[in-house]
Parts: sequence; structure tokens; C-alpha cells
Amino acid sequence: MFGPFRLTNSLMGGLLWKIPWRLSRHQKYRHRERLRKVDSTIATLSAALARQGQTMKKVERWKVEMPTEQEMLPKDKYTVFDRKVKRYRKGIHKVPKWTRVSQRLNPPGY
Amino acid sequence: MAYFRITLMRSGIGMPLKVQGVLKALGLRKRMTTVYYPVTPDVAGQIMRIKELVDVKEVDRPLTKQQQREQRRPEKGYHVEKRGSEQTSNYEGL
Repeated sequence: MFGPFRLTNSLMGGLLWKIPWRLSRHQKYRHRERLRKVDSTIATLSAALARQGQTMKKVERWKVEMPTEQEMLPKDKYTVFDRKVKRYRKGIHKVPKWTRVSQRLNPPGY
Repeated sequence: MAYFRITLMRSGIGMPLKVQGVLKALGLRKRMTTVYYPVTPDVAGQIMRIKELVDVKEVDRPLTKQQQREQRRPEKGYHVEKRGSEQTSNYEGL
């Protein structure tokens, strides 16, 4: 039970990473800020192109398909679909490089 | 003519090679590097690829490296907020 040779998770399995199952409210806040930053970048791009009298398929498609930070449901903001998890949802912070990738849409019905 | 001012806020380390290639093509080697490109669909497409990593603004004219450095430099000299002699005369009055 005690002592230098007690069995702990890290001693038995070696590497042990502990990622909490949910985000803290400060993580959520910073995540929303990042989402808004991407929204503003898209707005800047489309406004600048429109002023030149041009449009771009990639930007237009993003604007049609992707919800903005305000339109997103909390469920989609902070969790993502995962088929291996019970009830098919896991925290978005479990996605690799989650602070630098856009992950806004999930399969319908989940 | 309008320009995009692109600043790399988040590093591209560990991102897919296509993303890192776009960063290299735009000349964004380190974080906080700023580059200027004319507003064209090609550049907009490149920005779309790295939109999570950069800060983009539309500006009228590009700044050279020297001008950017000048903007960051604090003003020369100093200005007097309060004279020390006034302070001491207040104390003497008490």
C-alpha cells in the first residue's frame, strides 16, 4: 500500500497522461476567443476581396457551411463526435492540436 | 492598392506539411513575423489554409522592416510629470 515500491498507475504502465474529462471554464473562454478570431479572419478576407470586386469559393463555402461562434451550440463548441466513446461525445480538448485546428461540425443526429 | 498584413501568432510546429509549406511560402518562419501581400484570391486561399495560426488585417500600404521597427521603438527623451522641487516645497510647508 505504502512505501517506495507501491503499485501506482505510472509504475505499472509507465507513461501516464492525465487529461481531465471536461474543460475548465477558462479553457472554454480561451477556446471561444480562438473561434471568434477565426471568424474575424474570415470576415476580413471576404470583405477585402469584396472591395476588390472578387469572391472566392473557399471563403464563400466556409461562410455558408460553418456556423460562427455565436451560432454554435455549446455541445458542438466544447465536445466532438467520437464513435468509440460512450454516448458518442468527447471533450474537444482530446482532439490532437485542438487549439490550432477548426472542428465545428459534427455528424447530424449525434 | 490594398494589402493583407499577416502576422504569425501560433507556430506551425507539428501541423501537416501542407500547412507548414504555406507558412514557408508566405515567408512566415517564426512567430510574430509580419508579412504584407496584395489582396488577391491566391493569397486569400493561402490564408484560408493557415487561418487558425495567423492574425490578418487589411491595410492600405505595406510597411518595410525598418518602418515596423520604428513603430515599435519608444519615443526618444522624456517628459516631466512633476518637478521634484515642487514636491519638496510641499513637504516643507507641513
